[in-house]
Amino acid sequence: MSDSIFVQYIWLVPAVSLLAAVITAIAGNRWLKQQAWLPCMLAAAFGAVWSALALVVVAQADEPVAFVPVLEWLTVSDLRVAYELLVDPLSALMLFMVTFVGSLIVAFASWYMAHEEGYARFFSEVALFLFSMTSLVLVANLLMLYVFWELVGLCSYLLIGFYYTRPCAAAAAKKAFVVNRIGDFGFALGIFLIWVTCGTLSYRQVLAVDQGLQQLTAAGPAVLTTVCLLLFCGAVGKSAQFPLHVWLPDAMEGPTPVSALIHAATMVTAGVYMVARFTPLFAQAAGVGTVVLVIGCVTAFIAAFTALTQTDFKRILAYSTISQLGYMFMALGIGTVAGAVAAIFHVFTHAFFKALLFLGSGSVMHATGGELNVWRMGGLRKYLPVTHWTFLCAALALAGFPLLSGFWSKDAILATVWQASGAATQLAGAVGLITAALTAFYIGRAYFLVFWGEPRDRAIEEQVEHYVRDEAHGPPEPLIMKAPLIVLAVGSVLVGAVIALAFGGLVPFLAGAYGVEPLAHATAEHDAHGHAWGMMLLSAVVALAGLGLAYVFYGQPSPWPDRLAEQLAPLYRISVNKFWLDELGLILVVRPMLAIAAACRVLDNVLVDGLVHAVAAVPAWFARLALRPMHNGLVPFYALAMLLGLAVILTLVLFQIQGG
Amino acid sequence: MNLTEVFEVVRSDIGSSLRAFLPELALVATILVLLLVRLFQRQGTYVSRALALIGSIVALLLALEQYGAGLHREIFGGMLAVDGYTHFFRLFLLAFAVLMVWLTMLTNMPEPEDAADFFVLLLGATLGMILMSSSIHLLMLFMAVEMASLPSYGLAGFLKESRRAGEASLKYVVFGAGASGIMLYGMSLLAGRFGTAHLPTLAERIAQSVATEHGVVIEPILVAGVLLVLVGIAFKVSAVPFHFWCPDVFHGAAAEVAGFLSVASKGAALALLSRFVLTLAYPVLQAFGFAQVSLTQALALTLAVLAAVTATYGNLAAYAQTNLKRLLAYSTIAHAGYMLMPIAAAIGSSGRPNFATAVDVVLFYLVVYLFMNLGAFAVVALIRNAIGSEDLSHYGGLIHRNPLLTVAMAVFLLSLTGIPPLAGFVAKFRIFVVLYQTGFYWLLAVGLANTVFSLFYYVKVLRVMIIDEPVPETPAWQSNALAVAFHVLLIVANFALLIPGVWNGLQDITTGAVATLLLP
Repeated sequence: MSDSIFVQYIWLVPAVSLLAAVITAIAGNRWLKQQAWLPCMLAAAFGAVWSALALVVVAQADEPVAFVPVLEWLTVSDLRVAYELLVDPLSALMLFMVTFVGSLIVAFASWYMAHEEGYARFFSEVALFLFSMTSLVLVANLLMLYVFWELVGLCSYLLIGFYYTRPCAAAAAKKAFVVNRIGDFGFALGIFLIWVTCGTLSYRQVLAVDQGLQQLTAAGPAVLTTVCLLLFCGAVGKSAQFPLHVWLPDAMEGPTPVSALIHAATMVTAGVYMVARFTPLFAQAAGVGTVVLVIGCVTAFIAAFTALTQTDFKRILAYSTISQLGYMFMALGIGTVAGAVAAIFHVFTHAFFKALLFLGSGSVMHATGGELNVWRMGGLRKYLPVTHWTFLCAALALAGFPLLSGFWSKDAILATVWQASGAATQLAGAVGLITAALTAFYIGRAYFLVFWGEPRDRAIEEQVEHYVRDEAHGPPEPLIMKAPLIVLAVGSVLVGAVIALAFGGLVPFLAGAYGVEPLAHATAEHDAHGHAWGMMLLSAVVALAGLGLAYVFYGQPSPWPDRLAEQLAPLYRISVNKFWLDELGLILVVRPMLAIAAACRVLDNVLVDGLVHAVAAVPAWFARLALRPMHNGLVPFYALAMLLGLAVILTLVLFQIQGG
Repeated sequence: MNLTEVFEVVRSDIGSSLRAFLPELALVATILVLLLVRLFQRQGTYVSRALALIGSIVALLLALEQYGAGLHREIFGGMLAVDGYTHFFRLFLLAFAVLMVWLTMLTNMPEPEDAADFFVLLLGATLGMILMSSSIHLLMLFMAVEMASLPSYGLAGFLKESRRAGEASLKYVVFGAGASGIMLYGMSLLAGRFGTAHLPTLAERIAQSVATEHGVVIEPILVAGVLLVLVGIAFKVSAVPFHFWCPDVFHGAAAEVAGFLSVASKGAALALLSRFVLTLAYPVLQAFGFAQVSLTQALALTLAVLAAVTATYGNLAAYAQTNLKRLLAYSTIAHAGYMLMPIAAAIGSSGRPNFATAVDVVLFYLVVYLFMNLGAFAVVALIRNAIGSEDLSHYGGLIHRNPLLTVAMAVFLLSLTGIPPLAGFVAKFRIFVVLYQTGFYWLLAVGLANTVFSLFYYVKVLRVMIIDEPVPETPAWQSNALAVAFHVLLIVANFALLIPGVWNGLQDITTGAVATLLLP
């Protein structure tokens, strides 16, 4: 397989994105102007085509794992840092997803971001993100993984703070950055521990059963468990899991295409990808699976429950993303290859429908002049027909409407969880089902409030009418924004069914990445199907019930929402206030940190500065005592000093040698 | 071997010797042409500068070609060695000469009537320095040192109207002559006692004399001979207490010349020192199975103390300086101290592998040092051209008047300090690693403490340039394209170790250079 040019030159995909980022950064403002999106678009499209071809090559290969050496960075004794890429079913699938969804979002953004201040800066940063993200999924070395892990974090920071003149955007960018540091701190420690234990950071060795895995197990059960927990820390930060999920809703301050690309479809799934990549380690680590399962479960439920009452359109979607990521970690918590495959399956389908939901919200925001409160919208389906229909497809897919993509992948997760033995997993399965109902309800609520009924706000209605009629800024739904929506909608509807029915699920394909015999797995998969039908029926019922309830509540004017809020006031307050997690974080983390920082400042001013001043006094003192008398510019003195020096050295050495 | 035999050996080999000597011959030819031009054209800088540029580039290309051919032999009957080590220093010094000529183009350094003289001296000194790095015979070694020194004296006093330059040149001559005398005395002791001036043969005989049947016997005459030669070299390296000439000369000479002396002269002296010390110590260590003998131990300790004192003295003294050239002079003394450290570690440790890496890091450091130190002196020269001062108090607020130079200076000074990710950090880091691996912990501590000290005065310069109020009467000015290219090149070089492959590539080159040095 490694002799195929699509595998051998896979590095072209990140390289072209980097090139686009540089070109746009240099030429964007001055020469490209409104064409500044083109380099990024071409790079993303190129990446999509190339990675699709690579995906085909991988799928047809007998031995679907290839390491592609690209660059040697440096070698310092034992540490070898190389930009080496790993092409296997897992990375090929992720790469295709990133570039394909990425290119659609870039096309949409070229319309969405038009006439914004910093148009070129936006696409330069997006191209840099694509470079970092594609590298992240391809690299075959933990140190490089960390580098790109931080680089996507940097791009996320830059793009959340894109409107840096708005204080809340700047604050959100800072929050995302700081919260991610907490997780990355653990991630870095985990990498250090692997380095100390195995003496290598290459996937090739670390994941090999007879090398790294053996060394980690031999170092004691606590070591492997610690490594996995620390790695998971990084995933918790990056993939916005409880309790570090608080940054993601605030990250919606960034432009909507960014929310779609980075904070829904790709970057936030990096944590899932990483844990899936290290599933062979996680599977052996005692107790870690349960932690992952519980965190995923709690996140999925809390986020879905919070989404029920939010009024900010993008925040509903953000909480939905957090909740769906929770599902993926539930599957990863099972700690088997089947679990990892189910998680990646959901990553893949989720990328389509969640990106589409965000792009839809972007279209709505343009029409309403940036309005985000769903209670002020309504009846938009007659103004924005394409947005409405595509949004509906995505909403149904998210809700798990039978036979749409979300239905298949969510079912795969629930079936895997249900099937695994143990009380914890049974409970998790139950929570997963409840969350599925909540999901169907909140997305139904958002959909009905925005697109159905009559406009609830006079000003917004006028704004929308003006927007649709006014020809000055072009048609409300031009081709360049319609096309990505439609492609994504088709994907949201079909992808799950195609993978599940035509290819018999992702298991046979992805098993190659784990060195598992596809045949040996066929039986396990067969069992999964046996159980799956019941689960499918159940989750279909749940989804339909949730959607139906949402229609009853919000499909037409109804007294129910208010009445229920009164009846269940405590629950309602918990949801509206997001479990008071922000406030809790303020008290438990931020305030103590500020106190420590204040203490450090005092310490710094008194102790460290004092020390520095003392050290700085030495040269001055030296100059006064030694330098001025000695450097008097007199030749005889200099000569004398040199001769004396010579004499001293000669005497000392001679005596030392004689003495020794 | 008597004189006729020597003559016969040289004669039989003259053709291939001359071929291996081609880069040097190219320099000689350039110098001759420059002198001829001087006869016919008394005015004008362009012709002589162009000739110097072409000559040094041709020599560089020839050296590159020979490096590629991987020649490794003694030439002229054992006077010079052409090996990987020589190739490395040829390339280093010739590339530096090209950069120097480029720099004079930016700063209009020689007056039109003196242009030919200036370039003759510059190339002559370069030639001498190349010979310093390649000579393996005591006589040739002495000649090479003189060949490098005499043009340097002239260069130091090149600002004819400046009284300070004249004084600097005179001091340089006096101390240089003294140091040469001491070195020559040491050489005569060695040659007289052991009956040869050919370094490898000398080293073998020393090893034989040390290992007698009564155990290790070290004759005082041997110690005196080696140490006296080392003093001569230490003068060139400007190690404390043989450094007194350095601040005065750098202060008096033009900044360009100071930059040349600080890099090329020091590089050649270190090349000579490493070759001399390692060639002598290696057979001795080998004879004892790399067990430490008191001679090598004493030598290592002397060098280590010298290095520690030099680095500390240089850094402490630099702090009090207000003249930029003087400040950088002390900074170069300090850097000489850093570069002496691994050489001490090389002979103080046991085992051949350490031997190689220890010298390898010195070469690595030199390459990096070229780019940061030349850069700093170039900035000083360009600022002098614009504001007519080299005094720190006139540097206030330069960022508003010429951002490019200020940013460039910041990069060079931070690289000199050893701040990551600049090249200076990697170079210093590698020295410290060697000290750690060879167990010279106290020297490592001195090196680390010195790095902290050095930060104070380097950053002080940056503070004045960036934060302080601008000095009112000086206008802003633009650098021309050539100057921009020059600085961009040097800045990029200071970041170059970040580029994948550069670190390893440079390391491969320096390791290869040292590997041939150790083969007898």
